Amino acid sequence: MTLLEGTPREQYLVKEINTEEAITRRLEALGINEGTALALMNRKRNGALIIKVRGTRWAIGKEIARGILVEPAGGKEGER
Amino acid sequence: MRSIHVGFAGNPNCGKTTLFNAYTGANLKVANWPGVTVEKKEGETVYKGQHLKLVDLPGIYSLTSYSIEEKVTRRCVMEDDIDVIVNVVDASALERNLYLTLQLLELGKPVILALNMMDIVEERGMEIDLHRLPEMLGGIPVVPVSARKRTGLDVLMHAVVHHYEEQHSPHVVQYSEDLEEKIAVLEEALHKANPGIVNARWHAIKLLERDEEISKEYPLNLPEVLDKSYEKTIINQKYAYIEEIIEETLFYKEEKGAFTDKVDRVLTHPVWGMPIFFCIMAVVFFLTFAVGDFLKGYFEIALDWFSGAVSGLLTQLSVAEWLVSLMVDGIIAGVGGILTFLPNIFILFLALAILEDSGYMARVAYVMDSLMGRLGLSGKAFLPMVLGFGCTVPAVMATRALEKEKDRRRAILITPFMSCSARLPIYVLFSGMFFERYAMAAAFSMYVIGLLVAILVAFVLHLHDKKKENGTLLIELPEYKTPNGRTIAVYVWEKIKDYLTKAGTTIFVASIVIWFLLNFGTGGMVKDVSDSFGAVIGHWLVPVLAPAGLGLWQVGVALISGISAKEVVVTSFAVLFGISNPNSAEGMASLTSQLGAYGFGALNAYCLMLFCLLYTPCAATIGTIKKETGSLLFTLKTIVFQLLVAWCAATLVFQIGSLF
Repeated sequence: MTLLEGTPREQYLVKEINTEEAITRRLEALGINEGTALALMNRKRNGALIIKVRGTRWAIGKEIARGILVEPAGGKEGER
Repeated sequence: MRSIHVGFAGNPNCGKTTLFNAYTGANLKVANWPGVTVEKKEGETVYKGQHLKLVDLPGIYSLTSYSIEEKVTRRCVMEDDIDVIVNVVDASALERNLYLTLQLLELGKPVILALNMMDIVEERGMEIDLHRLPEMLGGIPVVPVSARKRTGLDVLMHAVVHHYEEQHSPHVVQYSEDLEEKIAVLEEALHKANPGIVNARWHAIKLLERDEEISKEYPLNLPEVLDKSYEKTIINQKYAYIEEIIEETLFYKEEKGAFTDKVDRVLTHPVWGMPIFFCIMAVVFFLTFAVGDFLKGYFEIALDWFSGAVSGLLTQLSVAEWLVSLMVDGIIAGVGGILTFLPNIFILFLALAILEDSGYMARVAYVMDSLMGRLGLSGKAFLPMVLGFGCTVPAVMATRALEKEKDRRRAILITPFMSCSARLPIYVLFSGMFFERYAMAAAFSMYVIGLLVAILVAFVLHLHDKKKENGTLLIELPEYKTPNGRTIAVYVWEKIKDYLTKAGTTIFVASIVIWFLLNFGTGGMVKDVSDSFGAVIGHWLVPVLAPAGLGLWQVGVALISGISAKEVVVTSFAVLFGISNPNSAEGMASLTSQLGAYGFGALNAYCLMLFCLLYTPCAATIGTIKKETGSLLFTLKTIVFQLLVAWCAATLVFQIGSLF
């Protein structure tokens, strides 16, 4: 599934990143990589979403979210 | 003794600039890095007799060569401009910040880690092992500081002065065996090909990452070693090491980090997020008018007294009549009239500073992303627009944050429609004069119209855009925090200083020029203002402005002079109608009755406000647009386009309004 289809407050693992080259590089440098755990914090209907990766929150647009393939990791955000 | 060159490097939002300012104070040299539009800040400080030159490097997340900021930082550090790097990290977001740290360490220059925001770390119930952390970072000095509370500042400078020549271990991150083998081979080859190369390990790693700049500068023909890009592997292994560091050095005593999440659940709510944003802006404008008006009373009393005193003194000294007129009707009316709006401007910037420093501003980009998406822009493009409520010049500069040139130009085109604080005096004056009870509503409508016009223009451009590609949003949302008094004071003071400087320079000169144009004609000094140069110029414009309900030669003069700075429209009215303080009750009454005699009523006033909102931005903005886009043609097009929009809008409102 893509991150865009995720449910808020669930944890996910990144399986693959499939975005424009430049965006992929930036995501990698920010520590958003294959195997990275992230929490989906908030999302708008068919729009941007907020994720928390490595203790930092990011707002990302739907074009990027569509390119991030994830799988559920189980557990809710907040149970560190 | 030569001075030590210290580079401040760190992620955006890590408090790097606050820390930098804590050392240099307001004593800064701000310029652009050579060849690029990235700001370069330099300052100086002295610690125990040792002179230090401080350079504030751009806020970056990594040291690749993908963005201009990253290239600038890398070049500056590599080319020996810097003796020692102070790496400022947000200790409360250590995991993300350490990535840049590891890259800086690989560069080989002495690094000192400034653990900023230690107060927040404590607040959140976290603990950092300050003994283990430096061990895992190759033995570099690690200094806890708080830029906001100004603690640890001396300790940090002490570390700089004592460790700036110290090399740390070059092998901080140990990569996997196969990578280390490749690095070793490459290092040897680099040494052979470039005798005397400094830090071959870093160059070897960059070659494995297929870094553009380094591959070009140090080409090696080793296809079996450099068989593919190892960038992803290298990044992953760095992050794996960071996870190890976090595991060993960061402890949670109790769970407290949820505050931001709770606030975000409300402020970034899918449905309520946008209404909440508009409510916040409405409150900001209400405060701007209400509190500003309250403070203004005291300013007026002072100005009246001053004007009277100068006039009396000059008359006593039997100074020539023209000089008294220049001083009292020209300069004091012009500059002083503008100064009485200072309280409104103060409140507006105070509110913007609080929104920014609390961490809310970045959320606005998220909240507005879906709306901006329909205009083909990312939510990030909305931030310059909000800044535009303060001043268009920094707002135009803030469009630098947009990656694509096309998005930038579009944002630059619509940002001037956002009503800046310089237009505020015009609304305060004219809505106060003509709309009495509804003054605040009339003024507020200008902000809404400006926003709507900006959105409409962006939408039309998007419709006509054949490529239809959307800007992508990727922005950090910092933790919410209590705004810091000092940071806000510095921000507001800078804006107030700009405003005062403008009053003392642009508006001062404009006042004199306007006074001259209105008091002199072809035959020298004139008794009747309608014989003056100003009247002649204004009369040319009457036919053009008449359909918009602005067919008075005085209005023409005011609008032309308003291009120097929008407040000057008010200044011009003050000088034109001989009113010493347009912002006082008597001043307004006198101006209303004089204008009324020409048949200039509420509808005309509204059209004037509308025209001032939309027409050509001020000279400073025009200059900034030219500098930022580097295109004279684009700048001229912007000017003409905005004039047309203003004229059409005002004409439309006047013609429809006249029917009733």
